[in-house]
Amino acid sequence: MIEVVISAAVLASMYGLVAIGISFTWASIGMLNLAQGFIFTAGGYAAWVFAEFAISAGISGPLLSVGVLTFGMLGSAVAGLAVGSIAFLPLQDRDNFRTRSLIATLAISLIGTQVWLIFFGPQNKPLPPVFGEGRIEFGNAGISYGQLGTIIVASVMLGLVILWMRSSRRGLQMRAMMMNPLGAAVVGVSVRTTGMRVLAISGALTGLSSVLLAQIFFVSPTSGVQPLTVGLIISLAGGLGSIPGTVIAAGLVGLAEAVTARYLQQSLVPFVLFGIVVLILIFRPRGLGGLLEDVRE
Amino acid sequence: MSKSTPLVGRRSWRPKWPVNTDRVFKRRRYFGTKRSVLKLQGQFNPKTLRRELVLTDKKPLFWIAALTILLVLPLGVGNQRFLSLFGIICIYAAINVMWTLIIGTAGLQSFATLATVGVGAYGSAYLSITYGLPWPLMLVAGAGFGALMGWIISLPARRLDGLYYALLTLGLSEFMRNFVTQSDALGGKFNGALFGVAQIVPSDLLTTRAGQSLLYLTAFIALLVILIVFRWVNGGRIGLMLKTAATSKEDESFASAIGVDFQKARTHVFIIASAALGFMGAFYATYIGGTSLQIFSLELLLLMLAMIVIGGLGKAEGALIGTVIVVGITQWFTDWGPWRVVLVGVLALLSVLYTRNGIFGLKAQIQEIRERRQALHRAAITGRYAEYLPQQAPDIHDKSLIVGRVFERTLRDRLKSWIDPDIIKEHELKPMGQHSDHLERMLNYFRKAPIPDKYAVYCVEPFASYRVVALSGLPGVPPRIVDDKTYPSLEEAYHAVFLRRVNDLRAS
Repeated sequence: MIEVVISAAVLASMYGLVAIGISFTWASIGMLNLAQGFIFTAGGYAAWVFAEFAISAGISGPLLSVGVLTFGMLGSAVAGLAVGSIAFLPLQDRDNFRTRSLIATLAISLIGTQVWLIFFGPQNKPLPPVFGEGRIEFGNAGISYGQLGTIIVASVMLGLVILWMRSSRRGLQMRAMMMNPLGAAVVGVSVRTTGMRVLAISGALTGLSSVLLAQIFFVSPTSGVQPLTVGLIISLAGGLGSIPGTVIAAGLVGLAEAVTARYLQQSLVPFVLFGIVVLILIFRPRGLGGLLEDVRE
Repeated sequence: MSKSTPLVGRRSWRPKWPVNTDRVFKRRRYFGTKRSVLKLQGQFNPKTLRRELVLTDKKPLFWIAALTILLVLPLGVGNQRFLSLFGIICIYAAINVMWTLIIGTAGLQSFATLATVGVGAYGSAYLSITYGLPWPLMLVAGAGFGALMGWIISLPARRLDGLYYALLTLGLSEFMRNFVTQSDALGGKFNGALFGVAQIVPSDLLTTRAGQSLLYLTAFIALLVILIVFRWVNGGRIGLMLKTAATSKEDESFASAIGVDFQKARTHVFIIASAALGFMGAFYATYIGGTSLQIFSLELLLLMLAMIVIGGLGKAEGALIGTVIVVGITQWFTDWGPWRVVLVGVLALLSVLYTRNGIFGLKAQIQEIRERRQALHRAAITGRYAEYLPQQAPDIHDKSLIVGRVFERTLRDRLKSWIDPDIIKEHELKPMGQHSDHLERMLNYFRKAPIPDKYAVYCVEPFASYRVVALSGLPGVPPRIVDDKTYPSLEEAYHAVFLRRVNDLRAS
């Protein structure tokens, strides 16, 4: 039972980060960033390149872990900026921006996968364990360092971002954009600069989740697809643009996946997830916390 | 086509042929419908003095040409690689046309296309392998699976709008892939590959050229069937109903206000399209004799999206041409490796960034750019046509009016450039008699001014008092006095008139 809860929390924290990135981007600049899978792999590969370099240079221990996490986040943030400069900046003031940017981000993710394939090959790349190896046993259950670290790092990072959003001038600008983009522009918030900042931050969150997920799976050109789809589902169920809603939805989806995989069948997981999201959306079409969209309109 | 033909300028070529007026013209219609085969318009040709028929919609001609090329080219070349390339083009084009029906006609931004195709393919392949279903029943079963899938995923479509639905359905393929990988019955052990499905062309024929041609022919017929379904739905009553609710929220309110249940119509179109997609899935399974997980991959979905984006979203011809381009690149240049997909992605990106609606939106876009340029150009050259705007020119019957005005204008401009204190001084010293060339020309111009409002000298008292008047130009109406100045001599009065005329010339 406890193990189910733990694995649910791990899944929730990893997918939740991706979902919050998607949700953030949508709420502030009105762009559905479906290149999030590409951004995800970018972080993974950046971390892998750093790890290769660091291990050959003889760096190990906490320095390696911090470096891997930082480079993962940096790589994804840069990828986020790249996506923004292709799909957001040129299209931002054109008509039909939403559909066109959606297609543009999809095209980027199509190109991105192939670019990784060209540069890194189709092999899976393992990342070094960031949190060390070992388990804490209590009673008849236990939690590995990796799981514990994932939960802690994800929550701390998310908390930091939320704190920064609440208390800083830049965060205020972003919140203003999320509430009313036109109003924010009128009072002097630069839509373009803030939009790029949002993309970088959601990229960094995605990169973090990429490094965390690479603790379990590997980095490969297509490793971004699964997190992207689950992230989409979560951000949809949570209501695009609402952080509390997204966190709750991430918990719910993680729990559903863990419970289904444990007590039913692994093959049923997709259907259970889909069913849950459809149920949520049928009763609340804007998701759990998505009253925002009504306000925007 | 609804635009009226301009009197001058570019006219689009339209096929026309003479009519035999002795016979009664009989309109041909598509079988079972009231739709005419070709949109014809009768008109009188002033040159030949005969009646003639004009084809107002050239699209059917292009369709016939394109489909003929698609049929004849691969069969004529007969190369096996060529045949299989075009077979895949036909299949993907059929899927894209149905996707276009969902996105364009139903207005649902659904990414569940390949998921539906995959359900049709896996479902029918499973039935064929397990129960030995022959291929015609497989196609029926595939359509059934597709319709079922369409019905299920159309349920949330009523509640969700636009992009939310796109997000929900984007994950569907990935979910299906996971399901197949985990399921034993669907070949999860062999990485989702199912083989040994009943095939249309007997397998011993497949190695021969005739067999390959036959196989290609079946794919072409499948594409034709799908195109007919597209035409039937999109051009039919249901498509018309959905056009009222096509683009925006206001349109939807308008549609429901005039009694169009667009939600229901959308669901119907979605289910029809899904059934057709399931049919294509089953066809694909019989075509290659099995299915594989590739059908659920995100990459294939994105490639399909690139096809319809490059061709033009929401148009069947766009789906067709986009498929030819993208499949041509990805299947023909196989030695380019991943770069060919990068090329496709870049093409899709370019068409999103720079075109409004892919290749088939390009014509309208170029037209608009050209019209804007022409407007700027016209504004720049207005001078050439004097007071007339160049677009008025075709409507003025007597072209000498335009020429006359242009001449007047250039003359005025030249005279204006001659006005200077010297010439005025010259006139003041000697109003009558021989003058310099410039002054003489100026005076000539003044003299041929029209009578209404022409200045004249009025003698109040001979050799003592003169005034300047303006003629009325009408018989019986006396001239009006221009100002209260009187001039003691005729010469001074002449000069006063001259000064007024020079002023008027300056002001013109």
